[in-house]
Amino acid sequence: MSDSQQPSDFEPVDVFAETDGMDLRPGSDDCYKCSTCDTNCPVAEVDDDFPGPKFQGPEQWRLKRKDDYDIDDSITDCSNCLRCDTSCPSEVPLSQMHNTARSQYVDNQMSKLSVEYIRNRILSNYRTSAYLASLFPRTATFVMNFGPVRWVMEKGLGIPSERDFPEFATTTFRQWWKQRGGAQVQNPDKRVAYFHGCYSNYNTPEVAKALVHVYEELGYEIMVPEQKCSGTPMFANGMLSDARRHAETNVENLTAAIEDGADIIASCTSCSLALRQEYPELFDIDGIEDVSNHTYDALEYLRIYEDLEAELEGAEVDFPDLAYHAPCHSRNQGLDGQALELIENIDGVMAEDVGDSCSGISGTYGWKTEHYDVSMEIGEEMFEHMEHAEGDVGMTECPTCAMQMEHGTGYEIKHPLEVLEAALVSEE
Amino acid sequence: MESSTGVLVIGGGSTGTGIARDLAMRGVDVTLVEKGNLTHGTTGRMHGLLHSGGRYAVSDQESAKECIIENRVLRDIASHCVEMTGGLFVQRPQDSDEYFQKKLEGCRECDIPAEVLSPEEAREVEPYLAEDIERAIKVPDGAIDPFRLCVANAVSTENHGGRIETHAPVTDVLLEDGEVVGVEVTHESGPGKRVHGKEGQKEKIYADHVVNAAGAWTGRIGDMAGVDIEVRPSKGVMTVMNARQVDTVINRCKPKGDADIIVPHETAAILGTTDEEVEDPEDYAEEQWEVDLMIEELKELVPILDESRTLRSFWGVRPLYEPPDTGTEDATDITRQFFLLDHEDRDDLTGMTTIVGGKFTTYRMMAEQLSDHVCERLGIDAECRTAEVPLPGSENTEVLDDAMDRFGLRSPIARRSKQRLGSRAEEVLDVDGPNPVVCQCEGVTRAELEDAIDQSGTDLNAVRLRTRASMGNCQGGFCSRAMADLLHPEYEEAIAREAYDELFQERWKGERHALWGEQLSQAMLNYALHATTLNADADPARLGQDVDFAAFDGGEFDSVERTERGADAVATDGGHDGN
Amino acid sequence: MAIEDDVLVIGGGLAGIAAAVGAHEQGARVRLVSHKQSTMRQASGLIDLLGYTPNGDGPVVDPFEAIEELPEGHPYERAGLDAVRAAMDMFDDATGEMYAGSHTDKNALVPTHGGAIKPTARYPDSAAPGIASAHGDTLFVGFDSMIEFDAPVAADHLAATGVPYETDGATIEFPGNLRDDAKVTRFAHLLDRDDEVAVDGTTMPVRTALAERVKEHIDGHDRVGFPAVLGDDNAAEVRAELADKLGASVFEVPMGPPSLPGLRLEDRLYEYLHEIGVRVSTGNPIVDVEQANGEIDRVVGDHTGREVPYKAQQYILATGGLVGKGIDSDREGVYEPVFDCHVPHPADRYDWFEDGAFDDHEFARFGVPVDTELRPLDADNVPEFENLRAAGSVLGGYDFPSEKSGSGVSLATGYAAGELAGDRV
Repeated sequence: MSDSQQPSDFEPVDVFAETDGMDLRPGSDDCYKCSTCDTNCPVAEVDDDFPGPKFQGPEQWRLKRKDDYDIDDSITDCSNCLRCDTSCPSEVPLSQMHNTARSQYVDNQMSKLSVEYIRNRILSNYRTSAYLASLFPRTATFVMNFGPVRWVMEKGLGIPSERDFPEFATTTFRQWWKQRGGAQVQNPDKRVAYFHGCYSNYNTPEVAKALVHVYEELGYEIMVPEQKCSGTPMFANGMLSDARRHAETNVENLTAAIEDGADIIASCTSCSLALRQEYPELFDIDGIEDVSNHTYDALEYLRIYEDLEAELEGAEVDFPDLAYHAPCHSRNQGLDGQALELIENIDGVMAEDVGDSCSGISGTYGWKTEHYDVSMEIGEEMFEHMEHAEGDVGMTECPTCAMQMEHGTGYEIKHPLEVLEAALVSEE
Repeated sequence: MESSTGVLVIGGGSTGTGIARDLAMRGVDVTLVEKGNLTHGTTGRMHGLLHSGGRYAVSDQESAKECIIENRVLRDIASHCVEMTGGLFVQRPQDSDEYFQKKLEGCRECDIPAEVLSPEEAREVEPYLAEDIERAIKVPDGAIDPFRLCVANAVSTENHGGRIETHAPVTDVLLEDGEVVGVEVTHESGPGKRVHGKEGQKEKIYADHVVNAAGAWTGRIGDMAGVDIEVRPSKGVMTVMNARQVDTVINRCKPKGDADIIVPHETAAILGTTDEEVEDPEDYAEEQWEVDLMIEELKELVPILDESRTLRSFWGVRPLYEPPDTGTEDATDITRQFFLLDHEDRDDLTGMTTIVGGKFTTYRMMAEQLSDHVCERLGIDAECRTAEVPLPGSENTEVLDDAMDRFGLRSPIARRSKQRLGSRAEEVLDVDGPNPVVCQCEGVTRAELEDAIDQSGTDLNAVRLRTRASMGNCQGGFCSRAMADLLHPEYEEAIAREAYDELFQERWKGERHALWGEQLSQAMLNYALHATTLNADADPARLGQDVDFAAFDGGEFDSVERTERGADAVATDGGHDGN
Repeated sequence: MAIEDDVLVIGGGLAGIAAAVGAHEQGARVRLVSHKQSTMRQASGLIDLLGYTPNGDGPVVDPFEAIEELPEGHPYERAGLDAVRAAMDMFDDATGEMYAGSHTDKNALVPTHGGAIKPTARYPDSAAPGIASAHGDTLFVGFDSMIEFDAPVAADHLAATGVPYETDGATIEFPGNLRDDAKVTRFAHLLDRDDEVAVDGTTMPVRTALAERVKEHIDGHDRVGFPAVLGDDNAAEVRAELADKLGASVFEVPMGPPSLPGLRLEDRLYEYLHEIGVRVSTGNPIVDVEQANGEIDRVVGDHTGREVPYKAQQYILATGGLVGKGIDSDREGVYEPVFDCHVPHPADRYDWFEDGAFDDHEFARFGVPVDTELRPLDADNVPEFENLRAAGSVLGGYDFPSEKSGSGVSLATGYAAGELAGDRV
């Protein structure tokens, strides 16, 4: 078995003084210019101001010398969907290149006083805003979507007024978890630590609850460790120092859970991707490799360790037909087919794939006025396919994809775990 | 065809172009003839090191002192050809302390700034250095682009009224009454521009004095003139890495040996070298052991080299010379000094001077001494100005930064273009209409290529040397054909096709030496693109093959029906509906 | 636990897809796992069967006839002529209207984007009006910022091959003031949606604007060839509208990477797999193999660092050749990274290549040797595993660029390997 199959088989080092970025020039060794990455870039397809991942990644890096600090400013147009990373037939560490270049750009070329910088920080630190909002969820939901406030946001911060801020849950998942007295199943042999991410906690606790019900039904003991943001929105905004702070907390608590015999599961595919891929690529924190090696997508974990087909034998649900969109970040982990395969085994629900396009929102990307139109144009194909599909309820694993699906079609959006819950867990 | 000139210089390498520029600036009427491209010989096949002199600080202090002086001059007059990377002499555990000390003292004795770095400090400068190094000496080595430098010297020569004639090999030295009166060249092209496939014509160029600066070929010119010049050519391999593993010149701090230097050059890093005497400077073995040795030895200094991608290897031949009867056994011991052979004194042959040996870094000083000598012979009283007047492209590059924004280039491409073009960037890049990047590996735009074609005609290898197009990781796989397309319509398509074949083959010649891992994958992709997708290997137009078109599938409809069908065709598909 | 199926196909290119279809048609439950995107989008989208014999004779008029003459060990000889025909039928079914050329056994001659001609067996519908072996005065149109296709050069080059009709070329600026480095997908997207673009101070739909610019060069030509960027999802509609506006048939000239015809083919074939019910998992490299009694018991896929077992009765290796990374090498030798199958190659690295760029290179034939069951053979000519077959360019013993046989070998060996594997389940 050759090591060449392992992504990024070189360990980059810090070459460029004055930044905390690593030298990724050796990564250009893997590029043979086939341009597969470019054909996968949803932004380059709708916006020719964006030169595409081949230029942004291996070409820009290869042209760099030690004293060169000018990153082309088009790096901020990259939505960090990572489709290029997954498509590259040659192991070029594209996401690492983009994330590092973006971070260097923000560090060296972006004014810390600019509205753009401040807005990006607010957006990428969603957890903080969500936490504040969760103290007064109903008020927050109202205020955030209140016309005059939105006008101020658009004019002052460049947050498009077309977007609806997500509703804040009246009870967060963690509050609910505490209220129910934590884990209801004890099982030292089947233990998982749930990385719920910010969104399931503050906005869609029903997804987190579905996970808890499904896993407990299958006999798992669930731990819910202290945790912060996975860092996904921060990588995408070049805020690596913020992301590192959060990562340190996460790694510390998740490592402790691993020592207690738990594997880590996530219901949000961007969170699992961050823990699995971006953490070891971007940070050198004690235990980070361990965390990466023990993290799974919640559905994937059950497919590997449980006989779901047998479990679902004869299961019948009363569920609306679904239009399913596989998020880029699930695709990046090789999980794009699993939700549909699962639902094939459940009677009473149909799910239809709405194609392999990107939803276009890419986390905070579509939340910026200057990217809103591009974001909607990228999403156009998905919206059309959703309209085409039989079902008029959407399904996806990614919270921001869900926002975009809802925004573009008005559909209600479900998570596959909710379908699984309906099939496996008897009504209480 | 006949012409006459004041001084005729044979050889378009650094020495020849340096001499031509020097004499032209002194007001001498100069013609330079070169058998191939500029830098066709040794100059085009070196690792691009601008010596600080550190390398010779122990073995040859004379040379070391010359190097540091010229190093400072070139930084000044050729700024667009030089990257001041700095250099390190790195000591490994098995390398002697005594030699390290000698090297340090030697540098100081020769006025070469030298500073000792601890292993930590050295690794801070170059993080990819091996962890077990002992220490290093920091010296002002640099990287220099020999192509750009020679082109700049040639342009300067022309600006001062000189004539540069490439692809014009000397086929005879003209003698009258025991005196050299000129040379005969055979043109492989029309005047000044190369056009393939034109039958060459001979030209007799009469001159008051002939300068033989043909490097490894000086002996052949000598033969034509009936004098004996004993050049001892010695080959050395240079292995080109795809990326810069280091941004500083890395030298192994030990007495001379094979594979002891890494030079960061433009986007790449060049490993060197070997030192093997050869019989014939144009025909010698390029061997696997040499390439493997570069990687095996130099990974001791920079371990990542072991798994890094190699683009190609090339060989150069040093035109070493030693006076008759010196009789050095081992080529590695032959002096690197240059020699000025006045054939009047030496062989009773007036009208010709030969310059041989020496080093690229000191080319200007050599040219100055030779020009002084020639001027003395011809009774010309003029001062050398080459150390003060910047070369074309190196004047006032500071004002450029603001202008670059106007050309709509992505920043790394603008930066690289400027680094290559120097002060000419604005005039070259300021074009109407689109200016797409043609060579994406090196970031070369169409405007820069068209400018190079204006200078060098249909010889795409000359265009490559000027621009670096096709010198990146795909080795011309993706751009060689597009480069050739630029020759059209000024030149007919068949000529463009031939130019593409020639460039593609030249790229292949070096790439063969790197065929494993990523580069073998690249080679197969290139082969597939050019043979499968373009059918360049079996193209009937190339093979002069008659094709019976009627024997093949003529389609389901004739074109008239097709037109109607096309107009009536209805699009059926609203895209993938997920089922 | 493992993710279980009857037949596991490793590799998502043309060979892997053909194998999955072949196995599925035998009634097996099939899963295709692929690591990265295939090399299909690097290729022109043409389906070459055999354009030149291994001795370089050609262009071959009838590839099926020539395939019968191939020497022992050539992948076509291993799969057999019937498999070649069956695979082409399957391809024709799967692609339907998208491809032309099935009406005859003969090769067509298609103009390349450099203006040469090359023999091919199936060509996208978008290239059909432009085939060089059909008669019709031809205008090539290129875009000023798109360096991959220089229309006047292509026209002159095609004329130099001796075609019996007029060829001309024109370069225009694509309407809409796109950046110089706009990607081919950008052109296709604009044309797909017929977006409004700014032209001379007004705006108009891009197809209309493009036709306007081409009109002045039409000058009685029967057909107009563009670089292959005329739409993606709505390509047929784009061509029809342009043809209507120009009063000439409109075709695409197949190009190198990134190739939209290749992309469309990939999309269509994956759609087909989806339609017939083959399961597909992408992004999962196979990193480990567990064997028992000379058979493969299970393989281990990597999900972003997590190891996930996949189990099947029969396995097919379709990971590609040197380009697709199914065959790898280092300074010491050449190997097959998934199952470590034997790859014959000269011990001396300097015997892997010849001195001329288009000489008869040994490396072009690197790959695994197989028996007539398409099972990889070890150094003693014994099958490496009872239940492993190989297909496509991971196979050795043929030089697809010089033969112009790449797609055909992938389809034929893939389909045959799939049928054999499905039959054993």
